[in-house]
Amino acid sequence: MQITRRQALTGALAATGLSACSRKVSQSFPVSRVSVVKAPSYSMAIYDQIYRLLLDHGLNVRGKRIVLKPNLVEFDANTAINTHPMVVHATFEAFRKLGAADVRIAEGPGHRRGTLDLADAAGYFDTIRGFEDSFTDLNTDSIAKRDIASPVSKLKSLYLPHTVLDCDLLVSLPKMKTHHWAGATLSMKNLFGVVPGAVYGWPKNVLHWAGIAESIVDLHHLFPRQFAIVDGIIGMEGNGPIQGTPKAAGVLVAGSDVAAVDATCCRIMGIDPTRIAYLEMARGVENLAESSFQQVGETIASVRTPFELVDVWKEIRS
Amino acid sequence: MLVLLAQTAAGAEKDRESFAGGVHFIRSMEGLDGGFRPESQVRESTWVTSLAALLPEAVLGSGRFERAIAWLKGQTGRESGWSYRLQQRLHGNSAEYPKGWPWFPGAAAWVIPTSLGIMAFERALARASDEELSRRVAAGRDYLLARACADGGWNHGSNQALGKDGDSYPETTGIALLALGAASKSKDLTPNERARIERGKIAARRHLALCRAAEGIAWLRMGLAAHGEIAQSPFQPVCRTNMDEALIALAGAGVNPLTANPVARIKVIL
Repeated sequence: MQITRRQALTGALAATGLSACSRKVSQSFPVSRVSVVKAPSYSMAIYDQIYRLLLDHGLNVRGKRIVLKPNLVEFDANTAINTHPMVVHATFEAFRKLGAADVRIAEGPGHRRGTLDLADAAGYFDTIRGFEDSFTDLNTDSIAKRDIASPVSKLKSLYLPHTVLDCDLLVSLPKMKTHHWAGATLSMKNLFGVVPGAVYGWPKNVLHWAGIAESIVDLHHLFPRQFAIVDGIIGMEGNGPIQGTPKAAGVLVAGSDVAAVDATCCRIMGIDPTRIAYLEMARGVENLAESSFQQVGETIASVRTPFELVDVWKEIRS
Repeated sequence: MLVLLAQTAAGAEKDRESFAGGVHFIRSMEGLDGGFRPESQVRESTWVTSLAALLPEAVLGSGRFERAIAWLKGQTGRESGWSYRLQQRLHGNSAEYPKGWPWFPGAAAWVIPTSLGIMAFERALARASDEELSRRVAAGRDYLLARACADGGWNHGSNQALGKDGDSYPETTGIALLALGAASKSKDLTPNERARIERGKIAARRHLALCRAAEGIAWLRMGLAAHGEIAQSPFQPVCRTNMDEALIALAGAGVNPLTANPVARIKVIL
């Protein structure tokens, strides 16, 4: 069945309650450091690369509680939906090596209810020794209510898991993917997975009605201490986040300013970050310019790998 | 709640203390509005209300059961509300949106809460006839049949995205079939509706042949059993959580307490 752009946009707007508003962001942002490293395959080399990435950003994590939040959605052996387990394991080992007191892996998938079954299918049990002991299912974790101080979405508050509320650093480990409702799903969108399914269900539909882009921004603001490492070694293009096709971009992108990391990923994917609603809302167009970030490692031009976009998102192509 | 149901099926008298503790906890989750909360920190009543209403009435108590049903009567998916339908009509979309149930108040209807809502209302209809409940059960069935995936089974209810068909999942296929169990015995079903249920059963058998997850296996077996089919998985399910254990116990029970109401037996235990 073919769908027209108007039908798709109407459907998206109606289904999500997305208001096409554009906010002027008056806040100024410090120049953020974003690292881009080439990683052509899931080899043992990424253990060293990720450790060096963390060193390069000077993270002081000694004695701290770290939560790694990968992107686990569904498993299909023929495509690349989830964060590769080797990226998660390499990050896990790197934080331990840096002296973190506790490193947990935590996720609350929005589609499949059997989180551990999904993690097993995605190779996490095989790659990460003792995975189950280091993992928290955020869909069923104990929770607390958090008010959203200045909501961008229609949400006023959210129930959120203690595991992520109580940690010292939340590390978003998304897959580099296009997304049929958000344009691109990266570090910021990955935080949808911290919203507990036991309360809000599968999928986490309250976020859709509150506005997808707006909810992404609100969740981002609820977690001020973040770091991101994007798995762009093999990403997903086309009709992501599930039905797209694998796309080898051969990169890891990292930094403490996750919006800056996402904007950089967009440029690598051939997407104009100022046309991604949640990035524009979070930082404003003027703060998304390439000159707003201190790019280290590879240049964007050297790793630029345009991702295929579905018709309704063609206009975000840079 | 699933653990309590499994204990009911297995013989709760084996561990009266644990059973009584569970009953006390569930009763304490009733909200002021008559619905049930998923945990003490949550103020709002949610989808778990239909699961509570599926507990044996003797466990919940008649008053709580009636208040839960009354709360569920007031819940529908937001897409079936007048404002959304008006918005859609203005955009040239005249599609109908059968009333299902949401996970959380104010959101859209989805397959699992709608399936549980149908079963909860069928439980209430077994006590006394009620036109409104009957209409909601019929609408819930319409919702499920409309949201079946192209492969015959069910996912959470998003059967297409940007015109591309979504795949069904084992657990949602099983629970939807379980909720359609009573419907399949009805003479009112159209041939088209009957054909859709048959396609759902074919999808369930296909999933059961491949599924290794305990939750999926359990719901698939319960779903097929609701249509008179005793099916086994070729795999030994790996139970990773208490919920997995409970569901496997329910799937193996001679009489499924989700679709029966073993009042007398529970009264003896309590």
